[in-house]
Amino acid sequence: MATVEERVKAITARKLRVDEVKLEDNFTADLGAESVDSIELVAMFEEEFGIEMDEDAALAVQTVGDAVKFITNVCKEQGVEIEQ
Amino acid sequence: MRLILIDRTNEIRGNFFPLALGRPLWELRCGMSSLKEKLVAKIRPDDVAYFVPDYMAGYYRTQVVEPVNDITAMSGHDLVVLDPLLKADSLDVSAKGRSEVGLDKQGRLLYARIARGDAGRLRAANIEEFLVSAQSSLPNVVCNLPVWQYTWDLVLGNGEQLKTDFAAAGRSGIDGDVEEPAAVRGSRKNVYVAREARVHPMVTIDAEHGPVYIDEGAQIQPFSRLEGPCYIGTKSILLGAKCREGNSIGPYCRIGGEVEESIIHGYSNKYHDGFLGHAYVGEWVNLGALTTNSDLKNDYSSVSVMLDGRQPIDTGSSKVGSLIGDHTKTSIGTLLNTGSYLGAMTVIMATGKPLPKYIPSFGWFVEGIVTKGFGKGRLYEAAKTAMGRRGCTWSAEAEAMWDAVFEMTAPERNAAVKKGRKTLLK
Repeated sequence: MATVEERVKAITARKLRVDEVKLEDNFTADLGAESVDSIELVAMFEEEFGIEMDEDAALAVQTVGDAVKFITNVCKEQGVEIEQ
Repeated sequence: MRLILIDRTNEIRGNFFPLALGRPLWELRCGMSSLKEKLVAKIRPDDVAYFVPDYMAGYYRTQVVEPVNDITAMSGHDLVVLDPLLKADSLDVSAKGRSEVGLDKQGRLLYARIARGDAGRLRAANIEEFLVSAQSSLPNVVCNLPVWQYTWDLVLGNGEQLKTDFAAAGRSGIDGDVEEPAAVRGSRKNVYVAREARVHPMVTIDAEHGPVYIDEGAQIQPFSRLEGPCYIGTKSILLGAKCREGNSIGPYCRIGGEVEESIIHGYSNKYHDGFLGHAYVGEWVNLGALTTNSDLKNDYSSVSVMLDGRQPIDTGSSKVGSLIGDHTKTSIGTLLNTGSYLGAMTVIMATGKPLPKYIPSFGWFVEGIVTKGFGKGRLYEAAKTAMGRRGCTWSAEAEAMWDAVFEMTAPERNAAVKKGRKTLLK
């Protein structure tokens, strides 16, 4: 199973159509995500990991690295198995 | 005599969603007024008391001065209890006479007339117990009184209701300003322009096939055409609108484009071009430019509507447009299929394709799927802003009611969100 980081990066790259995603990348400033993209990214992460995220908390996440941490925590809280 | 209006049966309320999510059934508009106003005009009570679903009682108390969900209102008066969906024009129940309970053939309580002395002998821990006690201890009468069954019945009956309400109002003539050149077709007896209403130059009022009532402070801007029967509510503005027959526009609306045989509650906007037909629109709705609904299928077959997101209901009519809940907002270019349901507090970001026919309340339709979007907090912020622009206030009671609606509508919304998410990773 791929790690959370690998899965988050893959989905981000696919959705935002970028070749490379780094942990320090800001979704908006560096990767060009617009507000609608953020909504879709949250939905895609939920589907990928089988989790439910609070919209306000999820949409407050700024960088890819923070998204990895946030999703890891949600997976643990909701008892979802992940590879770290 | 006190009139008691009761709206506590979920199965019946569901037939009027999404409009009934944020208001009791008697607040639905049809013709020139609400169902409550028609029932009150018919029964002529000394006062009124209401029983609403518990989740909206706090909010409704901020909207009316009369008692809400107060069981003590059932004592000390002669009572007429009415199902709020009774059609007032056909209501054949005298406010005076012996105590009795009127039921339809299926046993649904349509009315109860209860003398003060009898009311005092009934069990009254809550309104449901009071009604059961009345039904078991007072004479029962099986009756055949017509009732409104679904929201689209109100739309389909709106034209005739407008004519009836205009006649009942008994007004005609010009108390406001009609600036020249203006054209009035048909009998001027079929036109009423209330005081402080202004009809700008180059407006056509066509009352040939029905009355046109323009209420106080309304403005009809140039190049608007109003076909009767129609009602334009207090301080609403028509912006060069093609207002076809059968429209009821509530107070403080802004209406442009083409609108036909539709009911729009107060404070809603459809500023721009786009067609709205056979639609029922709630309060504080904003329809973006070129938002258009279909109200007729290409094969002229009867239209079905989903009120719960699962089971289509055959309306039996070939003309049904959209049902649009309070505080919903559509983007530019939104295309609504025949018989669409947009819940309350939805946000529609159109893709250019016709929407799915059912969008659950609090759903954000983005890139062709229902999502959780930015959540209800953002929706409340938008509602506060919209209301503030019109001098109205979003209250803690309103928020509590909509929080309850959010929870009530979670199952269908979560199902739609999960369905949408699956398509994203394919």
